[in-house]
Amino acid sequence: MRDAYDAIIIGAGHNGLTLGAYLARSGLEVLVLERRHEEGGGLCTEELTQPGFLHNVHANYHTFVDLAPPVHDLDVRGHGVEYVRPEVQMASIYDDGTALTIHTDLDKTCRSIARFSEQDAETFRRLYTEAHGYVDLLLGTLMYQPPMSVKELTKALSTFGVEGRSEFLSVKLRRETINQFLDQHFTHPKVKAHLAFHGAVCAYTNDVPGLAIGFPLLVGKIDNWHLCVGGSHRLAHALWRDLAQHGGVMVSDADVRAIVVDDGRAVGVRLADGTEIAARRLVASTVSVEQTFLEFLEPAALPAELPERVRKDVKHKDWSLFSVHLAMSALPQYEAAAFDPDVDRAWVVNLGYGSLEELNADFDAVRAGRLPEPRPNAAVNSLYDPTDAPAGCFTGLLRQFAPFSIAQGGEGEWESLGRWYGRRCIEAWRRYAPNLTDDSIIDWVPYTPLEITQKLPNMVRGDWMMGEVSLANMLDQRPLPELGQYRTPVDALYMAGSTQHPHGFITFAPAYNALQVIADDLGIDAWWRQV
Amino acid sequence: MADIYTTEWYSEVRDAMNARIATMKGLPADEILIKVEIVGDGVSPYVAAAAERHFLVKIEDGRCAWYREVEGDDPALALNYRFRGSATTFDEIAAGLEDPINAALQGGIKVRGDMRFLMRQAEQVKVLLEAYATGVQTSWPKGRPPYAPNEQEQVRA
Repeated sequence: MRDAYDAIIIGAGHNGLTLGAYLARSGLEVLVLERRHEEGGGLCTEELTQPGFLHNVHANYHTFVDLAPPVHDLDVRGHGVEYVRPEVQMASIYDDGTALTIHTDLDKTCRSIARFSEQDAETFRRLYTEAHGYVDLLLGTLMYQPPMSVKELTKALSTFGVEGRSEFLSVKLRRETINQFLDQHFTHPKVKAHLAFHGAVCAYTNDVPGLAIGFPLLVGKIDNWHLCVGGSHRLAHALWRDLAQHGGVMVSDADVRAIVVDDGRAVGVRLADGTEIAARRLVASTVSVEQTFLEFLEPAALPAELPERVRKDVKHKDWSLFSVHLAMSALPQYEAAAFDPDVDRAWVVNLGYGSLEELNADFDAVRAGRLPEPRPNAAVNSLYDPTDAPAGCFTGLLRQFAPFSIAQGGEGEWESLGRWYGRRCIEAWRRYAPNLTDDSIIDWVPYTPLEITQKLPNMVRGDWMMGEVSLANMLDQRPLPELGQYRTPVDALYMAGSTQHPHGFITFAPAYNALQVIADDLGIDAWWRQV
Repeated sequence: MADIYTTEWYSEVRDAMNARIATMKGLPADEILIKVEIVGDGVSPYVAAAAERHFLVKIEDGRCAWYREVEGDDPALALNYRFRGSATTFDEIAAGLEDPINAALQGGIKVRGDMRFLMRQAEQVKVLLEAYATGVQTSWPKGRPPYAPNEQEQVRA
């Protein structure tokens, strides 16, 4: 590590590495600093249970593959990433033994929905077809560009007459919940529950006003869920390889404690051991707003009101995820396979939500700090990636909507509740797949909302999206209006992580969009703008 | 009345665009270079199956400066936008049978470039598209869309 670089990036998650790789390819001397022992952030794959079992601790679902420009620009496949797109993407299994499956084959999906409602199957086909048509266009407009305001966006959509040309897109969606959208267009409670569950898994909570505006886009890519073979960390490694091949440097175990500011301009960083590294052209933070503005920067370097705005106005998700990682000697054999054999090949399975009301009630409980009766979703990566477990064995991942802070006792209660609640989640899975006896479970570990934050402090209060997903916290309002365009009040300091538009998930978009702003400010030739 | 995709036709399209935009205010001063790629689909008689016809459109001060056919991709060109779609789609737009915004929304025409600029100049973009679609009288020497359904079915098969 030298004592000066053109660009210093704080955080080697996928956004930090992506920004670093683009800048390195642009000829800048780049240093990416990571507090943990390895690159990746949420792209973290570990042998949590037993040797040879690869568990994706955080990011498991790669839903923007081939939609996100960096996948191509940075040649992640050339760097060894292999994606699999499971043919049975997702399923819901209901308490009466019926099941609904989402396939990469639209006809199969519609046939599955038609078993509950032919009308809903036709509606889904129209919705998918319409949304699939504009998913590229709208993702390009909404996600892979620095954000416009809602007002600008709705004005443009109105000028183009999109509402009159679309059955499902409407300006009024910016005031509606996904529940309302589903009630307006679909009839069967189980179909609605599955689609709402899909939204919630994508962090678009079904009862939050305004999120209906994004729902058609979620449906447009509902069959684009990919698995990263060998674990999600492979992607982080590929991004690091690209960075390194273009002269960039990633240093792990580098705990940034301060951003050095001189005369209103970010000029470097200071590490926990006192080392100072100079940044000749820019510093970019991909960690949380709180770390960046309350820990790394002196208040004197900021507008007087900003620290208080960060404390009070930066919004986080009001629910988190409780996970159970399993090493197994058997694949789940669902009783619902008697109804639909494809559930046994479904990558991700919603266990038990059969109506919007059930989802609503659980989110109400979670927001009140209570643990709901487990209805986890179950992912078995080994179905599509046999390399993630020893021969004849399998990994499992249960995820349950859960509070960060327990009503009685706070987040510290997770220390004692983790094993107990994990056991209950496994028992819930077993109700639908009775073959998953204790004998077939080699080992398992819980991973609580508290551990999310302990492992990755940028995910404040177990917030795996690094900011609330709501209309008020989207586009140029995220995370605060004065930070909404990736620039900050400190010259040469940029925000480029999932705190920014659009949000968390493996979108690459915060880094890609910050790159556009940095390129404009620094006069970098935008070689990646492949029109 | 000019034949579709001839120099005369482009001139008429350009004039129609500029006439419609003449009264608009606040047009961007930016120079914008657009590539239009029309892909032969075996249905349109104006572009051979699997062949492509490429056109460049230059917008200056909000007005269409020129519009011409080119061959292949010139990497030296700094394009701002690329519109790509099937020949039948473009023919139907020129014949006023297909709405260009619908075509973009439905994925019939893929649009690449700075979407924010496109959205912020929505009024101008809409007027230009309308001029392209309905602004000139076009003659169709090899037949006019809509093309025979059996031809389209063959292509789909």
